[in-house]
Amino acid sequence: MKLLHVIANGFKNCNDSFEIDFVSKSKKTAEDKEYELQEIADDLHVYNTMAFIGKNASGKTTAVELLDACYSILSDFRLDGKPYSYENVELCIDFYHDGFIYRYETILKNADSIASKAIFMKQRLRKKKYYKSKTKDLYHDEDFVDVEITGELPEDTSILFFVLKKKETRAVYFDSFGNGADTYRLIFATLKDYHIRPVLLVKVISIFDENIHDLQMLDDHNFKLSFCNETKTVSDKELIYMLSSGTTKGMLLYILMAASLQQGFDLIIDEIENHFHKTLVENMISLYKDKTVNRNNATLIFTTHYCELLDLFNRQDNIYIAKSNDKVYLTNMYDGFNIRSELLKSRQFYNNVFQTAVNYDELMQLKKELKVWKNS
Amino acid sequence: MEKLLIMCEGPNEKEIIKILLENDLLKFTEDDLLGLTPYHARQIKSSGQVKTELNIYPGQVRILRIGDKQSDKLVIPSEYKDKILSVDKYCTKPELEMLFILAENLEQDFEKLKSSMKAKTFAKEYIYLGKRNYDNSTAFYTEYFGANPKLLVDCIKKYHKHNGSHNKDEHYLDELLK
Repeated sequence: MKLLHVIANGFKNCNDSFEIDFVSKSKKTAEDKEYELQEIADDLHVYNTMAFIGKNASGKTTAVELLDACYSILSDFRLDGKPYSYENVELCIDFYHDGFIYRYETILKNADSIASKAIFMKQRLRKKKYYKSKTKDLYHDEDFVDVEITGELPEDTSILFFVLKKKETRAVYFDSFGNGADTYRLIFATLKDYHIRPVLLVKVISIFDENIHDLQMLDDHNFKLSFCNETKTVSDKELIYMLSSGTTKGMLLYILMAASLQQGFDLIIDEIENHFHKTLVENMISLYKDKTVNRNNATLIFTTHYCELLDLFNRQDNIYIAKSNDKVYLTNMYDGFNIRSELLKSRQFYNNVFQTAVNYDELMQLKKELKVWKNS
Repeated sequence: MEKLLIMCEGPNEKEIIKILLENDLLKFTEDDLLGLTPYHARQIKSSGQVKTELNIYPGQVRILRIGDKQSDKLVIPSEYKDKILSVDKYCTKPELEMLFILAENLEQDFEKLKSSMKAKTFAKEYIYLGKRNYDNSTAFYTEYFGANPKLLVDCIKKYHKHNGSHNKDEHYLDELLK
């Protein structure tokens, strides 16, 4: 199963027909096929990496939250515990599975007043056989035929269950808040759930902190730490004071990345540059583009303010620019702008080609105010 | 310590290097390579992956370009000038398909036709694997040489003897062999 395309109406403060597409649109060079794209079916290419960029409060996080919601439905057939209302959100999700393109449509409702979970209304599931010759009409609505649904499910369970059948991680969402002291337990749970060898944790730890030689879990809250040639038992709360927050977050994120690459599920990271050093971010991007490592078609999806990262992207169609006026909207860099491919993308951002620059006048207004303070 | 950055002109050159690396037939191993792998990249500026790996590595690199003629000059972007110690090109002229032609001992037949026929076209017509004609695919290289890396080494050596007229700045692939 691979998610191809999402259209949402009424999701948070997004504009209508809020659309994200994972299928390549522009010309595919041989080098792109090697590093930028993955071929999930004959001549059906989706991205190894996808980026959302924009200034603060432009809606980047909202875009990845929408993807997280779609993946939750595709993974667990349910949607719950999200920090927003589901009321009247219309979703149209296209995905590839076993030789077919599926189109799933539904309208969400809050199951209760605290919006803890969603119920699925007006569900419709259709499919069409994938043919290489019809890649241009991939989303053409009239070709889809209804999938016959014979059973019944609770209203908080999506009918996607009848096609995908098994709960499975399709993506993990790593938000910008972190999990505090619980991070260490999550690290070991990830190692266990995805059968990752403990030696990988040791390798990850040494990237972040050369003084730590080993970390083992004794129980949910206590750990054995080998630190500067000394081994001691520490609680998770002690550990979070001993290790930097970057190390703690980075360890979990790198372990999740390893699981994603090994299992082939997607990894969604909000504000990738917030978590650690630029070199580590570049390393992550490079690993998703290397087919000797990313053997199972995992995709790295991230938001960033850091436009220099986009200079490492050979394509434009896997970059979305988020902007907001009264509503949040996305523009695909390839579809929405006429940028010569040889120009540095970061330079275009600084030249404000995408109208994403921080408002200079506002900055100067603040500076003026600060100058007045000094004089008075 | 310096690393080697291997930039292959196409996926087929990359496959040749991969087979040689996997069978430990080169003077260097994967550990000596930038990013532990050879790259399919003609130019640095147009390869996000090569730029990323150069950004990650704090040391210096020597570039080995692998291709046929490689008449286009490698442009080193200014931000990487201090990182790159040298650039050397390793050629298989006129085209990589010469390796198949030599493997099948068809070099004299090709000599007769080479003024009117490209090595690639000749290979498509006369090189087989079982019943399958050469089709310029990477899979063909994998199947043809992957199971028989010794044949690949022999062909690379034979190429040097067959074509001893490289220009001064054009190295032979056999210089990279153990």
